Amino acid sequence: MAEVKKYEEPRIGVFVCHCGTNIAGSIDVKAVMEYARTLPNVIVADDYQYMCSTPGQNKIAEAISEQKLTGVVVAACSPRLHEPTFRNATKAGGLNPFRFEMANIREQNSWVHMHQPEEATSKAKDAVRIAVAKASLLEDLIPKSVPVEKAAMVVGGGVGGMQAALDLANAGIKTYLVEKTPSIGGRMSQLDKTFPTLDCSQCILTPKMVDVYRHEGIELLTYTEVEAVEGYIGNFDVTLRKKARGVITPAEAEARGIVGGGCTGCGDCATVCPVIKPNPFELGMAPRKAIYIYHPQVSPLIYTVDFDACVKCGLCVEACDTKQAVDLEAKDEFMTVKVGTVILALGYDIFPIEKKFEWGYKNYDNVITSLEFERLICASGPTGGHLIRPSDGATPKRVAFVLCAGSRDNTGVGKPYCSRFCCMYSLKHAHQIIEKIPGVVPYIFYMDIRSFGKMYEEFYYRIQDEGAKFIRGRVANITQDPVTKNLHVNAEDTLLGRPIDMEVDMVVLAAAIEPTAETEKTRRLFGVSCSQDGWLLEAHPKLNPCGTTTAGVYLAGVCQGPKDIPDTVAQAEGAASAASIPIHRGEVELEPYFAVCMEDKCAGCGLCVNQCPYQALALVEKEGRTVMQVTEAKCKGCGTCGGFCPGGAIWMQHFATPQIIAQIDAFLLGGEQ
Amino acid sequence: MSGNKHQYAFFLGCIAPNRYPGIEAAAIQTSKNVGIDLLPLKGASCCPAPGAFGSIDLNVWYAMAARNVVLAEQMKMDIALICNGCYKSIYEVNHKLKHNDELRDGVNEVLKEIDMEFKGTADVWHLAELYYDPKIVGVKKLADSVKRPLAGAKIAVHYGCHLMKPGKERHFGDTENPMWMEELVAALGAEPVQYRNKMQCCGAGGGVRGYDLAHALDITNEKLINMQEVGVDAVTEVCPFCQLQFDRGQIEIKEKFGAEYGIPVLHYNELLGLAQGMSPDELALDLHAISVEPFLKKIL
Amino acid sequence: MAVKKDYKDQKLAEKLRDRKYYIPDSNPEFIKDVEKIGQTAAHMCYQCGTCTGSCPSAPRSSYRIRLFMRKAILGLEEEILTDPDLWLCTTCYSCTDRCPRDLAPTDAIMAMRNLAFKRDIVPRNFLQTVQLIYKTGHGVPNNDANRAARKRLGLEAEPETTHKYPEYLPGIRRILDHYRLKENADRILAEGE
Ligand SMILES: Cc1cc2nc3c(=O)[nH]c(=O)nc-3n(C[C@H](O)[C@H](O)[C@H](O)COP(=O)(O)OP(=O)(O)OC[C@H]3O[C@@H](n4cnc5c(N)ncnc54)[C@H](O)[C@@H]3O)c2cc1C
Ligand code: SF4
Ligand code: SF4
Ligand code: SF4
Ligand code: SF4
Repeated sequence: MAEVKKYEEPRIGVFVCHCGTNIAGSIDVKAVMEYARTLPNVIVADDYQYMCSTPGQNKIAEAISEQKLTGVVVAACSPRLHEPTFRNATKAGGLNPFRFEMANIREQNSWVHMHQPEEATSKAKDAVRIAVAKASLLEDLIPKSVPVEKAAMVVGGGVGGMQAALDLANAGIKTYLVEKTPSIGGRMSQLDKTFPTLDCSQCILTPKMVDVYRHEGIELLTYTEVEAVEGYIGNFDVTLRKKARGVITPAEAEARGIVGGGCTGCGDCATVCPVIKPNPFELGMAPRKAIYIYHPQVSPLIYTVDFDACVKCGLCVEACDTKQAVDLEAKDEFMTVKVGTVILALGYDIFPIEKKFEWGYKNYDNVITSLEFERLICASGPTGGHLIRPSDGATPKRVAFVLCAGSRDNTGVGKPYCSRFCCMYSLKHAHQIIEKIPGVVPYIFYMDIRSFGKMYEEFYYRIQDEGAKFIRGRVANITQDPVTKNLHVNAEDTLLGRPIDMEVDMVVLAAAIEPTAETEKTRRLFGVSCSQDGWLLEAHPKLNPCGTTTAGVYLAGVCQGPKDIPDTVAQAEGAASAASIPIHRGEVELEPYFAVCMEDKCAGCGLCVNQCPYQALALVEKEGRTVMQVTEAKCKGCGTCGGFCPGGAIWMQHFATPQIIAQIDAFLLGGEQ
Repeated sequence: MSGNKHQYAFFLGCIAPNRYPGIEAAAIQTSKNVGIDLLPLKGASCCPAPGAFGSIDLNVWYAMAARNVVLAEQMKMDIALICNGCYKSIYEVNHKLKHNDELRDGVNEVLKEIDMEFKGTADVWHLAELYYDPKIVGVKKLADSVKRPLAGAKIAVHYGCHLMKPGKERHFGDTENPMWMEELVAALGAEPVQYRNKMQCCGAGGGVRGYDLAHALDITNEKLINMQEVGVDAVTEVCPFCQLQFDRGQIEIKEKFGAEYGIPVLHYNELLGLAQGMSPDELALDLHAISVEPFLKKIL
Repeated sequence: MAVKKDYKDQKLAEKLRDRKYYIPDSNPEFIKDVEKIGQTAAHMCYQCGTCTGSCPSAPRSSYRIRLFMRKAILGLEEEILTDPDLWLCTTCYSCTDRCPRDLAPTDAIMAMRNLAFKRDIVPRNFLQTVQLIYKTGHGVPNNDANRAARKRLGLEAEPETTHKYPEYLPGIRRILDHYRLKENADRILAEGE
């Protein structure tokens, strides 16, 4: 048995919540309350309809002062929801708020054992007994306040990240906008028009890109990635890798003493560059050189050398001449910045739809994805806005759109969720071809048309009126005519109940979307969780959709889950607002769950120092002895060191060994001493 | 016995030994030539026919197939077979019983009555996949065994459903446009040709051939049209039941619909036999309903 | 329950038969039986039609695998089990391979056929196969012409199966009798004569 610190005689109050019928529907709340009264140290037990309501909270405060309680237990919902509420009530009664312990008898009990009332009640009794055991050993703790760095970082420069950065900067906060590609803009800059208003995507996006570029409060870091993250809310130290771009800006030139130098975006270098590569911005449908920009509207307008492709012939260096902007010996550079809060706006990728073999993408020439369609129909795209069949350059007259391609798919190859914007953009695509190609017929193969947004159903009405043909059936497979390269789309018109073999000139797959490959790495750097499907996990799906469970880190745009541009921008503004609050308050309170070194027991062996994943521990000399010391602001309270110390010299505040052992005993011994 | 390194209990099924014995003879000889010994699985029965038995009572299907697997377990050998229908029964029941305790217990209760127990110690393979597997034979060794390349022959491949599907319970990867059997054909010096909807069913399965012959033949006919469209000298498959449907089916199609194709139908083992130098007589090719002569002329 | 119209004219009564779906027309247990036998979560079908679109039998008949899934969910047992289309599935498993809900419509059909058989609904050719196996161990047994061909090839006249080793037949019959399959097959075939 671990040694127990000396405490005053514990006096515990237990409060059991009905949560309407949420808990009382399956758990006998009265029985749990009566049971609590029989437990050691319990002075008072009570129950109430809604403990979180004002009368419920008052019960706690009153009991503390009347009964001179030393600890409070509330058996109710998840601490994620109401721990702060009940801590406040505990404080209002005159106790230190950390003298409070919560037993979850809703999410982990009544909701999952809906049809087993007896077992649920008995489990609730166990939970209360365990909580009382811990509450009896709780101590006063004082949270620390730390100052907040008056700067923020946004990772990802799509429309979501740009909006968030602009809002933060406009609120007077210095903002670093980190974008991994050479230009901001994200997916939206690849789109032609945008539903449901059909405004030109670039036309509404470029002004924002210019605003971002020009804003004094924004430090734009393109071609840059996050390398390492240390610290915590208020004080993140983020190390960035500025990838070797091979071209310097006028400002960088000036710093190097090159007068009037630096890239002006003239493009003379690309003209002479002999290396030709596919342009990823055009999804490989157009070439670019080894020194390149994605497209004319990039921001910043600075060329970039693809060092994987560059043959170091030096022709560009010559062409650039006196501007001396090209530096073929450039190396990656690292910089570390301190920020108070961070917004992740990492966007999405297209699911590799060739994995759904039945639709023949990459196997049949005239099966393309919707994103390829956007580039082909866009006036600034590789074909000047002419939709053509890749097989022969002909203009298609019958075009099939395959909706839910890889979305709403539980086979394991595909995504179980709805990608949320493909219905709408496919309607848009139907409109675009009707507008551009006389006599064309778009056939939209769909299961449901999800047109849920403002003016979206009206848009659906309009496209149907314009002549798009809707076939309610998911496409089973596609075969190719080996001679004409026409495609046979096989499906069932489920409304007719008749199989269809439709010969078309072109098929557009509305491919599912998925988190980008780097999302996983980036979220781990920032300690953010993801949901089952890989999208980043918000703190609460309804009440905190922009926050994460890591204090000081927020989410914007598709990286949190599929959403269109209006929703992305709205969430970005929400995230910017949330991220600015700690910065404007100037300081944040940290939970006092630090490791504490019990110096009299510490042998100074230092073995714990390397165990700590957050580098919070160090050895110091104190009164002639070597002992361990904790940097409280760095400690996350993970408990690694506490569990590890061979001498038991580390006290994990609020999760101390005696407290946990008391909980285990209370459970295993069933309340018997 | 030649004492080859790879030995399997040879599950025959019904149609190969009892209608196209050339396939059985070819399988034994051609396999021996590439290092596989096929040993008799004494007392085996019908797999049993997955369409007929599965439709009537899946439990009987499990038990009857399990009995055949147990015979191999008792020989301490894996099973090799030459028919997709057999593959469906023997491979799939073996797979299901290995992974589903409830099913296995149910089956063992019945097998107990005949002093047998399914233990789950054997694996089941189609010979074609063993030929493709470089750890067993591999395309290269197969090509090396060829004495008389089938040069100039355009051959359509019919994979057959029960070999490949449902893909989740198999291990063949792409079931929509697989190419591995084409590699097996190319190894013999022939030219595999692609035709529309190649993965479509032959039409015979599920009891449909017996239940509604015209319906089954209409499906077969669609495949034949697609093959004729690209021009083929023969179609090859690895399923005697598909072979029956394509081979005798062409006669029935002529009778019922008046359409004539004359496309020779050869089990891959028959093709392999020809390529390794076996004579048409050694393969009893004269038992085929559609004359193989035009094809033989092309390659001999 | 459908409204009974006792029209004297049989033809009119049939023509004007109440065709609405009523809850009492359905058996809620049916889908559970289908799922248990077929080992697939058939109630998760969302009626996308991928199965019918894949089905080689659909374009040449009124057989719609999607509709069987639908009717199973609604518990329209009677309608399903008496539908002759039930027996048109070739078990090609194309639908199973492609079903986005990861269901096995083929196995659902097999389960429905099993349930039909429990009510003696089954095409005769299926039962004849049972009789042949009971007798010989083979669904397609050997014959004299084939025996001659086998010998010509240097094979034994009888293959190494129950044909050569009939001592294995009692075991096979024991299994079939355990499920009373032969008995039922004989009876149903006789009744159908
Ligand atoms: C074919 C198609 C058509 C569409 N049409 C419309 C439409 O008409 N109307 C509409 O409202 N919506 C449309 N959308 C949806 C629209 O694209 C998205 O809503 C929008 O792009 C989301 O913006 P975002 O900022 O969240 O992500 P993105 O646009 O993906 O931006 C993310 C950015 O973050 C960067 N990044 C990612 N990871 C990192 C990292 N680790 N470090 C640094 N930077 C990183 C990326 O390079 C990218 O620049 C369409 C989508 C598609 C596929
Ligand atoms: S690097 Fe030089 S040549 Fe190339 S665009 Fe910039 S200024 Fe022009
Ligand atoms: S938005 Fe439409 S097309 Fe896209 S996954 Fe959802 S339902 Fe399917
Ligand atoms: S493919 Fe699957 S989900 Fe779609 S209708 Fe058929 S059974 Fe239902
Ligand atoms: S398994 Fe049956 S229902 Fe499914 S596609 Fe094949 S024939 Fe049609």
